[in-house]
Amino acid sequence: MKGLRFLLSRAVQGLIVMLGVSALVFFALFLTGDPAVLMMAPDSTAEEIAAFREAMGFNDPIIVQYGRFLSEALQGDLGTSLRYSRPAVDLLTERLGATALLALSALLWSSLLGFVLGAVAAVRKNSPIDFAIRVISLLGQAVPVFWLALMLIILFSLNLRWLPSSGYGSLSHLVMPSLALGAYYLSAITRLVRASLIETLGENYVRTARAKGLTEWRIVVRHALRNAMIPVITLQGMYLASLLGGALVTEIIFAWPGIGRLAVEAIQNRDFPVVQAVVLFAALVFVVANFLVDVAYTWLNPRIRL
Amino acid sequence: MRGSRSSTSSWTDPVTGALRIRGNEDAALAIFLLAVAVAFCILVPLAWPLDALRGDISATFKPPMTTVGGHLHPLGTDQLGRDLLARLGLGTLMSFGIVLVSAAISVVLGTALGMVAGYYGGWVDAVIMRLVDIQLAVPFILLILLLVSVLGPSMLNLVIVLGLTGWAIFARVARGRTLEVRELEYIDASRAIGLSDAAIIFRHVLPNIIGPQTVLLTLDLPRLIILEASVGFLGLGVQPPMPTLGNLIGEGRSVILIANWLVLYPGLMIGALVIGCNLLGDWLVRRAESKVS
Repeated sequence: MKGLRFLLSRAVQGLIVMLGVSALVFFALFLTGDPAVLMMAPDSTAEEIAAFREAMGFNDPIIVQYGRFLSEALQGDLGTSLRYSRPAVDLLTERLGATALLALSALLWSSLLGFVLGAVAAVRKNSPIDFAIRVISLLGQAVPVFWLALMLIILFSLNLRWLPSSGYGSLSHLVMPSLALGAYYLSAITRLVRASLIETLGENYVRTARAKGLTEWRIVVRHALRNAMIPVITLQGMYLASLLGGALVTEIIFAWPGIGRLAVEAIQNRDFPVVQAVVLFAALVFVVANFLVDVAYTWLNPRIRL
Repeated sequence: MRGSRSSTSSWTDPVTGALRIRGNEDAALAIFLLAVAVAFCILVPLAWPLDALRGDISATFKPPMTTVGGHLHPLGTDQLGRDLLARLGLGTLMSFGIVLVSAAISVVLGTALGMVAGYYGGWVDAVIMRLVDIQLAVPFILLILLLVSVLGPSMLNLVIVLGLTGWAIFARVARGRTLEVRELEYIDASRAIGLSDAAIIFRHVLPNIIGPQTVLLTLDLPRLIILEASVGFLGLGVQPPMPTLGNLIGEGRSVILIANWLVLYPGLMIGALVIGCNLLGDWLVRRAESKVS
């Protein structure tokens, strides 16, 4: 029951966070005073702005407006794109698949490789291999994703002519965006797995396994890795927000038709309903993912199991 | 606890507890990288004779180490014939300056809120910690782009927005440390002799928090450096012709076919700053851990 209560309180916390984010994106538009002026083209006349203000309901008391925003959002209506005259949610769902493909492929290869590199580094602690892995993980975190992406384009598209420099649709289009986006997580996960595994390998039950004569790799794979996974999984949830942020820049460079590119274009076009929709959606993904992390954590950690 | 001791002991001598050479080599490399970057961004704008904002239109897209009209361009020139070394010097100064000022805002704000949350507890704590959760749920870059696009892209807005969005991690750590310190006896004693809450927080809680916050700041700087560069890259930071590390790369991107050095060198500078801060931060963490054990 302890675990269930823990998960329930986490779910309530998630709802509060979503409420807070909704207030944040709603009131952000009022920071300069008049959202109508903000959204209209700079050369609009005063009459046009007034008509727009009336049509959007900006003349109502701000609390009424927020209540309306919230109740519409709960019904899946996040407003209409000013540029495309279509529901913001529709634009978002159309672009969702591309971003999910990019983010998940980046997370997948970097997690798998990160686990292997981290485990090797931990078992061969302080060896030349450990040192080499450490250098790789330092370099992976050192450069911004957009710079790495441009370097990959110079190498693989311009010099070697192996991969297309931008676009969407085939596996060869996915390789470079996924590499660029995953590099940072490769570093982070490698470091985390190494530190976590070194700690676990010093525990008593691992010594018992060793005393039983099991080989070191068997101990790592069968016994230590499971417990070493707990901090790694917890942090995966935290990384998700920055993964979405990184996807945003990656999509711009590779002309990847995902929600990151949608968001940046919406910001450049002052299409704020779409921006609000993207921010809310990103927060929702973060909250849901962290809840799933809590579920996994409860399952992996017997001390708080149901 | 055995495990955690063994993970720190790889950096310290098992007998004397002194740091091994490798740990100090990291610190030396970190300080070297940061010192070179700081010297570069101060000396180049001061002493390099070529202008960062005005170029020689007859000297566009010259590769590194070209001499045009008696002027050597060690890092080449851009589409307007401006000297990249001069622009990189000024750009590094701008970016690093923006990052440091916004980091200062984050630390002060986060530490203050974290101490208040930890010291008072109850609903104050609950409200501040939920704000932390809300802050951390939105991707930083998205939030910053939203705010900058509402407020308009300017250096001041960028500094404020970067500063206001980075406080959450500092608040979380400051709160945790305050919760520990609050239980210590001398805090009770201070209360008994009639010190006000504000006096206790400033004189007795704060000194215990400054150390961990400094380490956290060093580890958080890379995130801010890359964030500032990303905003600049997307064209929503400091506006051209004023260079920053991010907008240099953003401008160079469109001409990457003919002048890849315009993208290469600003990226290397970002890498040097980030590796320097990361190595220094890791070293400070290890030093703090080895002191504890």
